[in-house]
Parts: sequence; structure tokens; C-alpha cells
Amino acid sequence: MPEVRIKTLPPPHGGKLVDRVVRDPEMARKLMQKCSAVYDIKPTLFKGNPVRNVYREIMSVCYGFFSPVEGSMTKAELESVLEKRRLLSGWVFPYPILFDISEEDFKKLGVGAGDWLLLRLKGEPFAILEIEEVYEIVPGDVAVRTFGTPEKNPEVVKVPFDQKHTGYNIYCSLNPIILAGKYTIINEPKLREPFNRFWYPPKRAREEFEKRGWTTVIAHQTRNVPHTGHEALMKNAAYIGDVKPCDGIVVNAIVGAKRIGDFPDEAIVEGHEMVHLAGYIKPDRHLVTFTLWDMRYGNPIESLIHAVIRQNMGISFHMFGRDHAALGEYYDIFATQILWSKGIPSFGFEAPPYAVDGGFYIRPQNIEEFWFCPKCKEFAYSANCSHKGIYSRYSGSFIRGLINEGVMPPPEIYRPEVYKVVVKWWQKFGYPFNNEKYLKEREERLEVDLPHMELPAHLKK
Amino acid sequence: MAKFLGVIIDEKRMAAIKGTPLEEKVESIFGGALRRLVIEVPDDLGQKVIDQFTKARFDARGFIEETPAAFKRAIFKRIAEMKELSAAVVEKVLAEDLEKVKEEAAKEDKELPVPDIDISDVLELQKNPVQKPA
Repeated sequence: MPEVRIKTLPPPHGGKLVDRVVRDPEMARKLMQKCSAVYDIKPTLFKGNPVRNVYREIMSVCYGFFSPVEGSMTKAELESVLEKRRLLSGWVFPYPILFDISEEDFKKLGVGAGDWLLLRLKGEPFAILEIEEVYEIVPGDVAVRTFGTPEKNPEVVKVPFDQKHTGYNIYCSLNPIILAGKYTIINEPKLREPFNRFWYPPKRAREEFEKRGWTTVIAHQTRNVPHTGHEALMKNAAYIGDVKPCDGIVVNAIVGAKRIGDFPDEAIVEGHEMVHLAGYIKPDRHLVTFTLWDMRYGNPIESLIHAVIRQNMGISFHMFGRDHAALGEYYDIFATQILWSKGIPSFGFEAPPYAVDGGFYIRPQNIEEFWFCPKCKEFAYSANCSHKGIYSRYSGSFIRGLINEGVMPPPEIYRPEVYKVVVKWWQKFGYPFNNEKYLKEREERLEVDLPHMELPAHLKK
Repeated sequence: MAKFLGVIIDEKRMAAIKGTPLEEKVESIFGGALRRLVIEVPDDLGQKVIDQFTKARFDARGFIEETPAAFKRAIFKRIAEMKELSAAVVEKVLAEDLEKVKEEAAKEDKELPVPDIDISDVLELQKNPVQKPA
């Protein structure tokens, strides 16, 4: 008789968790001695506004969220990812991970292949880049190939990407010189409040699951303060499990550069935490976590990075909803679900990503939509409820619009405790959410602080 | 595909349309927790609205959202005046009220006060989080 119980967590993507964090200061000093230059990390700007900070990618690589990727991609690796969504090793990976630098900075540094570059963050040593290759890119070309076009990817891309798409702008705004090579964090950052209590890199997440006795875990992707529709999605998707529903529900928020008007990340992680603090999901079944990543809003492509991250964390199932990680109408609203139910050949998936070579163990839970139905008297699943004209569909933009009009969202939309978390951060950061001042200060403050570490004498010049 | 523009109807707005044909067109949403009027507009007009405001966007339901509150006020004012829910209402606002709307929108981006509600209960809950710092 086939075994139906799921007794272990899925293996890391690529077989082994990457851990490139040096925790021994003496070792860090020795490694710094090998560096020939220092570079202060700068945010990627689009029209003067920060849209990305490569430090977040370095954190996600070195703490194993992006395993098996170990650093900035070589030219051959980049081509492989853009052409096939596969690393050279054959493992599925969706996005270019690149350390870009301007021609001017490159000339000033005077480094080349074989050199080690010390990367400084907030004025302190942070990480080392072992330069393996230096090459040039055409940023606009990388952007187009990353997200696809209606001609090349007609299954899901509806209109060409343009400057109203944040992810496209990130790639268009990259510097033209790429330094490829492995990253190593040599000065472990301290996560700031309130992020520190939600910091569960893959190794720690797996330890936590084992401590709690979880073997079936489902991931909820978020970039929003949770409304009651999200809560219904989490609770109902978690019924998948094996002989019983999933042991754990893991919320993994994507924390990074945001758009003016979005909710601040502080409110997002604490809003989700309030779901268990206020008892709507028992805290022993619910864990709030985050990953540092400047969201690319790549819908099906983004769902692949989500699978990489969450499988590495030890998560067995992933809920994918309508318009997953999307922005605007560039992709079909069900593009992610198409990918995870039958594949998208033009993106290199003749079959779903769990059924291809180099694919995932994590399994999708494709969910259509939950809405509020007063006749069903519940947060109804769209495949069940046929009360057209009666039910009300959720929309994060609609809720932000309500708040903007000075209307307190009713409890049918927001749990009152969750809304009060929004108010807490509104008091601190002002309005609109993620205003220019907040975004600017946040890019200086970041999500981490770095302990002081002396530079070696040869790098002080 | 048509786009939609929803205007929330509170007590004050409800009073302003009482007795007119608009009253019957008010929809109840979220089980009666909110009420709204909806205008259907052609795609290009929807896009024209989006182009006016940096934060505005179409959401997954096809609604034009995250427009300034001043824009919604102007739309409602014109709905009440014209007593109809047609694209002509939106065209009129774009043609005649846009400058004023944009002036007010610039102010509202700086002036929306924090709601005066007691949040001490959630601060108390947060004093003892289940998840501890790493």
C-alpha cells in the first residue's frame, strides 16, 4: 500500500542549503586581507528613487534562501537563466542575480577576474565578492528577456512591459558592468525591530519546524497587510496536508523596496502576526517570516523564486492565487496557475515546475479566489459560491482607497486588531503609506544594522 | 473590456441622492457593511483616468483604484448633479474639475490625519510576542 503520510521536510532546492556567512571575526579578518579594494553598496535608482538594493540579494544568497545560487551570475549562467530558466547545473532558477557596477566605479576600483572585493554597507564591512568574471550587459535587453514578450511568450504575456512595471524598471536601471562571483558575508548584520522576530532563514526555519513537529507546511506569499480574504485563503488552503491538514502555515513576506502608497513592511509583518496574537489562527500553527528581496512583480516568474525560497525553508506546499505577485495587466491573471498546472513551454516548462528535471519538491495549491458572500454567510470559495451579484470580491487597492477616503474598513474586510496595527505604523511614518520621506529614510536605515568592524590597513587608503 | 469606477456611499452622500433614481442603483457590498455606486467606463477612458494620478491602477476586478479622495468627491458631486451613472460623468470631471482635483490631491497626500482610535489593546498583545527575536 502506498505511503500517504509526509514524514520529512522537502530537501533544499539543488540538494544542499547554501550557508555563506562567516561568524568567526578572526576568519573574517583573514578573508578581508585577501581583498584588493572596497566598494560601498549603492541602491539601484529609477528616476532618482530607490527600487532595489543588492544587499538584499546578498543576504538571501548567503543565508540560503536562493540555494543553490552562491553569488552574482556569470555570463553563461545569466544566458542559461534567461533562455531556459535553469542554472548551468540544471536546477530551475527564474531570475538573473547580478552584482552591477557603473563604468566609472569599475575604473576607480581597478579590479578584475581573480580579485576579491570587500563590499561595505552602512559604512561597515559587510561581504566579500570573489570576482570570477567581469562582463557587460545591456540592461534593457535583460529586462525584456526576464519578463517575456507577447510574441515570445504568447501563452501568458498580454502586453509589452514598460516603465509602469517596477520589476522591469529594476532590470532597466542596472549598471552595465557585472562582477560575477561568489558572495560571503563576513560581518553578520543584526536585523532591526520589528523584523528581527520574523527572521527565519532556511536553516532556522527547518529547525523551527522540527521543534514544532511539523512535516507538512504550506506557504502564504504576501506583500500586504492581511484582509479577511487572505485569512480565509490561508486557513482553507492549509487543508491540503496528507491524512490531516497541514501542520503549519508559514507566511513569508517579501521585504524590500516598495512603491509609494503600498503598506510599510513593518505593518505587513506585524499585521500578519496579529492574526495569531489575536487568536484568528492558533499561534502554534502559524509562523510569520520574511525574505529580503526587491519584488520584481513577475507573476509566473516570481512564483518560481517563491518556490525556491520556500522549498529551501522546508515548506511542502505553496498557495498560488489569482494575479500572484502581479502588477498591472502584463500577464494573464492566472499565469502562475497555468505554470503550476500544465507548464508554460515558452518559458522552458513543458510541464509544471514540480514535474521537470531540476524542478521542485514543493507542490502547488492553486486557489481561484475567496470572496465575501452574505448568502453563504462565509468567506466563500469562488468554485463553490454562485451567488453572482451578491458576493463581494476583495482588492487590496480597494481597501487602500477606502482608507484614503477616511473610511475605516469594516470587520468583514479587516480584523479590527489588524487595522490597528496599520494605524500604529501610520502614527509613526505618516501618510501616504511608503511616502517619499519614508522610502528615502528607509533606504538609508535598511532592515539591518552592522556591527563595527575595522578595515585592514591596506584597504584604508 | 469595460472598467469600473466605484464610489463609496456614506450617510451624507446617501442623503444627497435620496429620492433620485440613483438611490435604487446603490449596491450593498460586504454583506451591507459598505454601500457604493458603480460607473462603467470604456477601456480608453479608464486608462485616461489612470494616467492622471501616479498611484492609480486597475485592480484585478477591473476597478480603477487608488485615485485621490478628491477625485472620488468630484465624481460623486457630478453624479449627484447629472443624476446618472455614465461615462459622461467621468468625462465631465476630467474636462472641468481636474485642475482642482489635482490641487486637492497634492494636499491630501500630506494631510490625511491618523484615525483617532484606541490601539492600546494591540500594543498590549504585542508586548509578549510568540515569536522571539533571532
